[in-house]
Amino acid sequence: MVPLQLALERFFQDFPAVAALMETAWGWPILECIHFLGLTLLFGSIAAWDLRLLGLAKDVPIAAFHRLVPYAVVGFAINAASGMFFLMTTPNQYIYNPAFHLKMLCVALAGANVLVFYVTMFRRLVRLGPGARGPAFVRFSGLASLVLWSVVIVCGRMITFYRPEVCQPGDPIGFLATCVVR
Amino acid sequence: MFEPLYIWLEESAFSIWMRESPSMFAFPGILAAHTVGLAFIAGLNGALDLRLLGVARSIPPVAFTRFLPYMWFGLWVNIVTGIAVLLAYPTKALTNPVFYLKLGLIAAALVMLRPILRFARTNRNDVDLTTRLLAAASLAAWAAAIAAGRLLAYTCNRLTVDSPC
Repeated sequence: MVPLQLALERFFQDFPAVAALMETAWGWPILECIHFLGLTLLFGSIAAWDLRLLGLAKDVPIAAFHRLVPYAVVGFAINAASGMFFLMTTPNQYIYNPAFHLKMLCVALAGANVLVFYVTMFRRLVRLGPGARGPAFVRFSGLASLVLWSVVIVCGRMITFYRPEVCQPGDPIGFLATCVVR
Repeated sequence: MFEPLYIWLEESAFSIWMRESPSMFAFPGILAAHTVGLAFIAGLNGALDLRLLGVARSIPPVAFTRFLPYMWFGLWVNIVTGIAVLLAYPTKALTNPVFYLKLGLIAAALVMLRPILRFARTNRNDVDLTTRLLAAASLAAWAAAIAAGRLLAYTCNRLTVDSPC
């Protein structure tokens, strides 16, 4: 884990232009606003889709609600991009942050849930007409998505409260104590 | 003028607990819940607005009324957590004009939700111009409310009665 973290830190430190932009008076606040608007677009569209998978609004075919999924993808893209800006500005505040680790784990699990959904159930589901609720594992997929994205939001908010001490690779003893051992 | 009110609120046991408790379930957890609530109410309302503006036309707008319990859940979570966060730092919020702007934008979005829902319940799929304008304004109001909320951290003048931001 540690060599990977060091490599990631070195990689994200290599964007001084982005960091300079973010450190202007309104750089960070504006990017945070964008990140929150992306979150709302992603969560709103995916929640409507998940709730349909859970059996709400059954009289509307699942295929109709699938039209909302591209908007969730746009929300995700906005947040992946704006998130990179934060990482490029203060990489060590994220790479050694347990709240960020859990957030990324849940993003990965939500992604895996999407992958499993499309590989195993999507083709059968879109052919279902109105009134169909879908089998239990479809409902599980919808519930998992709703819970995982909620946990992603909670962990994102928790990042501030779990900031590691500023990790300076130049200071080996302090770096070990605050960034690696913890 | 409201100085005594700020002092009284800040000295309350709940306010002190919010500010000083090291528990993850105090300030951090309540703030996190406020963001999840926002995602439910503004997110689902935004999805309904997008539908009225022409996105995913095969979904009848009335279908979104099934999600109302989840939207009200998000709204109530945010009323409760919002009051808790306000009590933690009353001076910070109440001396910042952006805070009143945020409340005004939320009120506007909720007022606009009424005619939007009235249209959805008519079970029509052809969205009239008034409803489309309302949907666009609702989307803008939620987006501005979220941005204003986020900017509260950067626009405050005083953190507590006796400390600057």
